[in-house]
Amino acid sequence: MSALPIIFGAPAVLLGLLALPVIWWLLRLTPPRPKMELFPPLRILAGVLKKEETPAQSPWWLTLLRLIIAALIVLALAQPVVNPRELQISSAGTLSIVMDNGWSTASDWDDRVSTASDLIDDAEAENVPVSIVFTADAVHNATPDSASRARERLQAAMPRPIHSDPRSALTSIATALESEGIGTLAILSSGIARDDNDEAWQNLLALNPDSVRLVERAEPSALALTAANNQANGFSVSASRLDPTAAETRFVTAFDTQARPIANGELVFQAGESAASTLLTVPFELRNDFASIAIDGGADAGSRYLLDENARRRRVGLISAEPIDLTQQLLSPLFYLTRALEPFADLMVPQSEELSGAISEIIEQRPSVIVMADIGTIPDDVEETLFDWINSGGLLLRFAGPRIAGGDDSDPFVPVELRRGERALGGALSWSEPQPLASFSENGAFAGMSQPDDVTVNRQVLAEPSPDLASRTWASLADGTPLVTSRAFGDGRIILFHVTAEATWSNLPISGHFVEMLRRSVMLSRSAFGAQGSVEEVVLPPYRLLSANGAITTPSGGVQPLRMASGNLPAVTFDNPPGLYGTEAGYVAHNLMRADEALFPFAMPQFNGTVETADYARDSSTDLTPYLLTAAMILLLADALIVLLMSGALSRAMVMRRTARAGGSTAAVLLAAMVVAGIPSESLASDEKPGDAEILAALDRTHLAYVITGDDNTDRTSRLGLDGMTRFLTFRTSLEPGEPVGVDIENDPLALYSMLYWPISVNADPPSREAVSRIDAFMKNGGTVLFDTRDALAGLGDGTVTPETARLRSILAEIDIPALEPVPPDHVLTKAFYILDDFPGRYRGSPLWVEALLDTDDPGNRPARGGDGVSSIIITGNDLAGAWAIDENDIPVFPTVPPDPVQREHAFRAGVNIMMYMLTGNYKADQVHVPALLERLGQ
Amino acid sequence: MAAIGQASEAVSTSPALARARQRAAHVPDLLVEAHRVANTVIAGWHGRRKRGIGENFWQFRPYVEGESLARIDWRRSARDDHTYVRDNEWEAAHTVWLWADGSSSMLFKSALTEVSKQSRAMVILLAMAEILARSGERIASPGVIDPVSARNAAERLAVALELHDHDKSMPDLAQINRHSDLILISDFLDPSEEVIEKLAPVAKRGIRGHVLEICDPVEEVFPYRGRTEFIDPETGGRLTAGRAETLHEDYRRAYLARRESLSESLRRIGWSFITHHTDQPASTALVALHTHMSGDPTGGIGRAIS
Repeated sequence: MSALPIIFGAPAVLLGLLALPVIWWLLRLTPPRPKMELFPPLRILAGVLKKEETPAQSPWWLTLLRLIIAALIVLALAQPVVNPRELQISSAGTLSIVMDNGWSTASDWDDRVSTASDLIDDAEAENVPVSIVFTADAVHNATPDSASRARERLQAAMPRPIHSDPRSALTSIATALESEGIGTLAILSSGIARDDNDEAWQNLLALNPDSVRLVERAEPSALALTAANNQANGFSVSASRLDPTAAETRFVTAFDTQARPIANGELVFQAGESAASTLLTVPFELRNDFASIAIDGGADAGSRYLLDENARRRRVGLISAEPIDLTQQLLSPLFYLTRALEPFADLMVPQSEELSGAISEIIEQRPSVIVMADIGTIPDDVEETLFDWINSGGLLLRFAGPRIAGGDDSDPFVPVELRRGERALGGALSWSEPQPLASFSENGAFAGMSQPDDVTVNRQVLAEPSPDLASRTWASLADGTPLVTSRAFGDGRIILFHVTAEATWSNLPISGHFVEMLRRSVMLSRSAFGAQGSVEEVVLPPYRLLSANGAITTPSGGVQPLRMASGNLPAVTFDNPPGLYGTEAGYVAHNLMRADEALFPFAMPQFNGTVETADYARDSSTDLTPYLLTAAMILLLADALIVLLMSGALSRAMVMRRTARAGGSTAAVLLAAMVVAGIPSESLASDEKPGDAEILAALDRTHLAYVITGDDNTDRTSRLGLDGMTRFLTFRTSLEPGEPVGVDIENDPLALYSMLYWPISVNADPPSREAVSRIDAFMKNGGTVLFDTRDALAGLGDGTVTPETARLRSILAEIDIPALEPVPPDHVLTKAFYILDDFPGRYRGSPLWVEALLDTDDPGNRPARGGDGVSSIIITGNDLAGAWAIDENDIPVFPTVPPDPVQREHAFRAGVNIMMYMLTGNYKADQVHVPALLERLGQ
Repeated sequence: MAAIGQASEAVSTSPALARARQRAAHVPDLLVEAHRVANTVIAGWHGRRKRGIGENFWQFRPYVEGESLARIDWRRSARDDHTYVRDNEWEAAHTVWLWADGSSSMLFKSALTEVSKQSRAMVILLAMAEILARSGERIASPGVIDPVSARNAAERLAVALELHDHDKSMPDLAQINRHSDLILISDFLDPSEEVIEKLAPVAKRGIRGHVLEICDPVEEVFPYRGRTEFIDPETGGRLTAGRAETLHEDYRRAYLARRESLSESLRRIGWSFITHHTDQPASTALVALHTHMSGDPTGGIGRAIS
């Protein structure tokens, strides 16, 4: 310790201080002497020359300031160092160095090498042998050797991008030095603890070294990214750090495959916490371009996290046949699908209501997966588009439901041939119980998932038995019937869940397995490796490797291929350092840290001798150069400011600012005037559109509506019939509809009406495909169509088909409709207003068909069942409008068959019930319970 | 860097005279066109050897009826029975007054030229005198030499100038008769109002003036850069410009505006104005002056007005 703990790296530069007097003389000369010029037209020049005051000499204190600046710069260039390194002399006996070269040592490797080098120097001076081992290397040679050999090995060593594994290194020292013992044990620690080392340490310390020297950073800065996940609203990045004491903020940058930075985020470590995470909120498209994420300024392998294709979020299009009902979310398949898919996929719901429009709209946005919940019939015009999309790699994920169960046999978008109708398990008429799931097939995407024991299936669609059914089945019920089937289509794939996506057919959608099954299915799309699907081992060659300082490099010789079984990544080892494994077409990211890993500080194992603790060499001495340069720079700025003040530049700037402010206020006044002038014209602009008046009139009151078929007779009957019905409703019920409206289904907006009466007439032209498509959309959005074939008496027998029925079938062939049934006796339609047994019109005898209700196993003690929602289709053949039709004198237009006034009255009552059912839904089904409820309340 | 401008010694008249002779040799005699002689009241250049308006006696002739009685020379008529009219010779010789500024500002010579303004002014003055004397005109210089008509008038003028003290920047012009021409050579660095104030009364007396401004190119171009202290050679006043190049535009504008204003004022009183740069040969100034005095229609704007 000298008295003045400052040495200069370049003392010769201090001679520069001798130049200070010269600088003093030069500075005193400022401003420079002007050139003397004779100039006869001085009077003219005087007119244009502004008075410039420049003092002949700058003030002494300014000169002094400048001299100080010059002195500081000279001193800084001389490289002063405070508190130079003090030498630690090792005692006699073998010097044994345990040097960490794991990933966290890369950033300050030079310091570590110089520390080790100092130790070896000391050993050379003391003439003792040196044994040096590196913890992250694969093989260790702890044999004591000369200092020069040790130095060679030190120079050859380099940091590795893997976790250091001291156990084998310590064991090798303990073995090599067992007989001769250890003089000095120097531990050059990375500061990070690894598990399972205690025994090895104890074995080593049992050799009883004379002194132990532990070198580690006083403030360890090791920091590693542990996880990066593509989530719904952003890319979440997590990191763990070694030293949790102080609060710290680090920045992370996401890079694409060309190593261009494309997103930034901020990791904020709270004081006392060792983990932090952040969310990079960037658009979905950009997130999928992420190839790696790195901590800014990080120079080790822990600061970079590699991403592979599994981190990309899939874009998933959702199409459902069910009306989107916000009040009854739990009944909508979209609700379950959305909740299950949201965490790992980006969802799209089409704007278009028509099915064909929706499919083409979704495909235009290039999704990876299209999920169809109970779509029975795919329109012909988009069939080819959908085919192309699947063939080029799309994944179509379908859920069964009433529509698929009632669909036709020619549906090409199913992986296996389906039987018509669904199979109900555990109903009143069935011997069978609701079925649990069998364990998942070993050859599907669900291989390796645990067998769910809480899932039961009540209802499913069945596959026709075929030789390859088993190979296409991914999941099946306990009785062997398939639950999930799949088939490859070109480059793409179709997956069919044989149950609905909502909880009516099974409780699968509310179990956790549903999410996992969907996740695995979606991950299957466009993923180069069936990582989750394959049980056999996959061997992947190294494609890109992460170097110790966090750079992505091409693989070098010593790296082994990565062996991956069941999609599980093995641990990071010397043979498999972090990097990308696979080929350019597809690869798996092998990262240093796992999501659940954390960094723990290294603690010196129990040792009864003295342990000297030190820091790495370069830290102990402080280089004064940057401080001196900073001080010089600050003084230089001050000098510039003083010169500006003296020359009056600031006062001039202030004048300019004042004028600028005046200009600014003028501009503000002008702007305000413009705004005031501009407001009225904008606020008075009308947003009226043509046709608004008609829409408002139609919405003011409920209107009964009928379809204008184009056959004048039929249309007149429809109008008179609905007119009669309107009057009847007004007279008997609290519903007072407005005038009946004839609707042109080709052009008029349909959304304004809740019900459409459609008498089928063979005299009229059949409706166009667009019109049928609009009717389909109308029904899916909650409207009801009452088809009336008016042919109850025309049929010659059960097997014959009247022209009206044939026309109706051709219309319905284009529409996606669920299974139908005649109104069962306990249907809410029979009790909606009047209690009715049948629904006659002019004729009596044709049943009223409605959508089939589920849960036939319902106990019989309920007086009415309503199902969920309202049947979107009602079909009769009884010519309701003909019975309702009355002229202006309240005299019926058509006789009933047979001519019975009671039948007409019943026809009106049937109409009231249908209207009430359509407007109130299953409300009446609940109303019939009111007496029982009141009784339960003790009234 | 050496200074651009410097004050040179006043040039002596005898070498100037030699140079002036050389220049004058190239310039033809000043001859005024016949029609101007006949039709204008302004006197011509030569004695015409015939009667007319003039200052000197030419002949007595018998009175013709209709002539003004005032023109009868009663003294001669009293000697016999006839009545005589005294005719003067029609301006036997025109008097041209020449003056060149000799103040210290004229001694300025810049690095761009080889002669000082004073040297150039002297050469032009003497060359002019030589040409006029050759043409038989009477030449004079205000305050220096009275009108003299001689072949060696230029030498006499040179001698007179040599002996003269040059401290007055503007001579006393009161002694100049009407019908005379006046040639003023100076740098006219005073404000144009002051110059005009002095010249306007002279012009009112019917004296035709020709003003030749001599300027050094440096005064017009202003090639100074950097920190410069300017010194007025006349008053010794000093001005320091921190960055002279920034003044370039402003100065040029002011300098040219002064010349423009002077030229405009002179044009209004009917005098001609010529600018001469010392880096041009003296002949150009001589030719210009000659053109103006000999009444070239393209040159004499002022004459057409008066």
